[in-house]
Amino acid sequence: MTQTKKTALTPLSPSLRANVQAVNARFGGSSDLVVRLFRSDAAPERELGLLYIEGLVNTDVINESLLAPLMSMKLPPHMEGKSDRLMEALRTSVVSIGSVKEAAALEEGIQQMTDGWCLIFVDGNAVALMAAVGGAKERAIGIPQTQTVIRGPQRAFVEELGTNISLIRRIIRSPDLHVQTHKIGTQTHSSVAVLHLHGVADQGIVKEVYRRLAAIDLDGILESGYIEEFIQDETFTMFPTLLNSERPDSVAAGLLEGRVAVLVDGTPIALIAPTTFFSFFQSAEDYYQRYDIASFVRTIRYAAYVMSMLLPALYIAVTTFHQEMLPTTLLISLAAQREGVPFPGLVEALLMEMTFEVLREAGLRMPRAIGPAISIVGALVLGQSAVQAGIVSAGMVIVVSFTAISNFVMPENNMAATSRIIRFGIMIMAGMLGFFGIFISVLFVLIHLASLRSFGVPYMSPVAPGGKSGGLWRDVFVRVPWWAIVLRPLDMKLRNPKRQRSGRKPPAQRH
Amino acid sequence: MQQQFGKFQLAILIIVFLIGSTPLFELGIPAKQDAWIAMLVAAAAGLLLTVVYLTLHKRAPNAGLGELYKYHFGRYIGGFIAIVHALWFAYESMRNVRDVGELTTMALLSFTPKWIIMFLILAVAAYTASKGVEVLARIIQLLFPIVILSYFIVILLVFFSGLVKVNQLLPIMENGPMPILKAAFPNLLSFPFAQMVVFLVLFGHVSEKKSISKVTYWSQIGVSIFLVFMNALILCVLGPELAELTALPLLHVLQLVRLANFLERLDVVVTLLLFIGLFVKIATLYIASVLTASMATGWSYRALVFPIGILIYAASFLEPNNTYHIWIGLDVTLKIAPLFQIALPLVMLVVGIRKKYRSAALDGAQGT
Repeated sequence: MTQTKKTALTPLSPSLRANVQAVNARFGGSSDLVVRLFRSDAAPERELGLLYIEGLVNTDVINESLLAPLMSMKLPPHMEGKSDRLMEALRTSVVSIGSVKEAAALEEGIQQMTDGWCLIFVDGNAVALMAAVGGAKERAIGIPQTQTVIRGPQRAFVEELGTNISLIRRIIRSPDLHVQTHKIGTQTHSSVAVLHLHGVADQGIVKEVYRRLAAIDLDGILESGYIEEFIQDETFTMFPTLLNSERPDSVAAGLLEGRVAVLVDGTPIALIAPTTFFSFFQSAEDYYQRYDIASFVRTIRYAAYVMSMLLPALYIAVTTFHQEMLPTTLLISLAAQREGVPFPGLVEALLMEMTFEVLREAGLRMPRAIGPAISIVGALVLGQSAVQAGIVSAGMVIVVSFTAISNFVMPENNMAATSRIIRFGIMIMAGMLGFFGIFISVLFVLIHLASLRSFGVPYMSPVAPGGKSGGLWRDVFVRVPWWAIVLRPLDMKLRNPKRQRSGRKPPAQRH
Repeated sequence: MQQQFGKFQLAILIIVFLIGSTPLFELGIPAKQDAWIAMLVAAAAGLLLTVVYLTLHKRAPNAGLGELYKYHFGRYIGGFIAIVHALWFAYESMRNVRDVGELTTMALLSFTPKWIIMFLILAVAAYTASKGVEVLARIIQLLFPIVILSYFIVILLVFFSGLVKVNQLLPIMENGPMPILKAAFPNLLSFPFAQMVVFLVLFGHVSEKKSISKVTYWSQIGVSIFLVFMNALILCVLGPELAELTALPLLHVLQLVRLANFLERLDVVVTLLLFIGLFVKIATLYIASVLTASMATGWSYRALVFPIGILIYAASFLEPNNTYHIWIGLDVTLKIAPLFQIALPLVMLVVGIRKKYRSAALDGAQGT
């Protein structure tokens, strides 16, 4: 998009041969460029050319809806003998394809070809007819791999943008769902779609998303992560300020709450903005299962997140500095375990944590077939033997294991990753300064969180700043029944802050 | 644009700031078992001072303390007083930094050098200051539930373990009202109640101007009642003699709590409360100092955060030891503090805004 704007456009030539040659030259004679020259019955004196890129188009459509009618077409009676109006006839009555456009410039046509359109040239016309015949082979819609639920829709995004948008359209069947597609990437020309619910989303935020997208000038966008790093508010933070989701229902829920979704061609991961710290603790399933269970599970998630950040540090601080905190029997048993361990608590914890991080990364990257081997090495050799060999204490293994498991509770992987990094910092502080070190680190993290914003929305709202409306709290730490969630959750001037009328509690039935 | 926060945040700011580390100490103990009455009297006087502060604030709703001085005393005298007051805020902030250093080495980390501890707490405060008033209000809002929950647990445990003996408060006014008044004035008034003067800096940043007075009065009344209650609670548990002797009476109270054989080591709750309270004071006073200095000198806020931080850090080493630190705190500081907390605001109240600034003050033009 940006490049075509900068460079001057080359007008097409009236000669078919010249045009075909120009296209061929532009593609450097690539072997997947298909050029089909033919003549039709209607105007045998004129040669026609059909150009497309193999693999990006659906050959069945080309054969049935384009080539066959083009070759056998007859001009309608009122155009009899006017072969110069052949192009118009093609467009109006021959090419039976939904999306058809005309291009006057070479670059325009070439750009569309890379999107799976075909070009039809007619000798003597300096205009090309373009038809959307895309339909490359795509992966079928599958079940979510990273954000699994027990109850709820089992559809996940795929790599193809059009399919992804349609998945959302099939959930929100409203003309208010506005989609705007941008081409980003000076080489890849990746389609990036911005979705919002008109009349619900804040127009300022939508405009801000457009503005930030327009400022990107990278040569290639391969994944939404590229976009995320360009449009987030703060680069130097460990906390994600955009929500990632591969679930169409999560994206639809975000849109209904007045957020903006960004979908990128080539990846099943969508971005949702603005977002707050607390939305990373909300799984799609929270809204599908009973509210009391959802609230309970959500509370556990918060606790687990804090655990995964602080537990090793607390263990280090207690065993190194504040032994008097422990009940005597526990203290004795811990001291007995640590008797043979040669390292101080901090080194022991760092060793085990690093080991776990390596195991985890190995588990992700290794070929599937070796999986069982890693489990044996990880669980038995590293865990049990390390304790028996007296390198680490059993208590430390318990702490590290529980920390690791706590981390997997998070519904959003990027937020879970945050605690993995911060954990090390807090551990070192705890190893040097005990509880005081933990206090300082946590305070530092909290101040940082309080200073973050996501597209102008304070990251910690509605807790800090908060207090504007109690209604915003109903879906933060717990989830109240659906009829009580009246307000949309974002602390900003939404045009339409209410999702439903209040007082919709179902009446109790008496028999 | 000027950073702002809401009325709810103002209320929390006042509550947490005034609580600070106050409930951990038994203030007003020279009045023996009547310490809580001294606290009550000082709280009432503190409320009167707040009336003065709010009257001053209403004269120039968008102004900070620096501008108030300028509007009342003119550009040069006002500017000078503002700089002195900024230094005073920095000094008060430094006292709390030193408190953290002393208490941490005393209670938690005996072998860690004080400079590391003071450096870290000040670094966190400086980080807050560099982000501005908005983030200060938010971080206090995040800490607020922790503070409230901790005090709630403490109070609950103390009551359940049957340590409270109300007759420790008797006899009331054994030696007449004089000891009470002596304990209350000026010491108890200056710390903590008249520290409200720092809000003259912050009122201008509140977005909902109309509710400032109401919110301020109610939250101050609430905190005052809470502080008096905590004061009386410690007295009820320890009795006046013991309360006078211990360095951290609330810690002592909690060490007496024994419930169900495992809830024994609640020291960490007290230490946490202490750190949070001191951090809030350090950060608020630090920011007040930077804001006032920035208004008085015309230098930008950002440019002043670092130098004032260095100043506070350097000053925290001036006192050679804890005894000296406490002596200066009790004898010297409490004699100077009324100048800033009482005298200057009263003079401003009497003098009134100078004519040429009158429209500027009401416009709320935020000149520096």
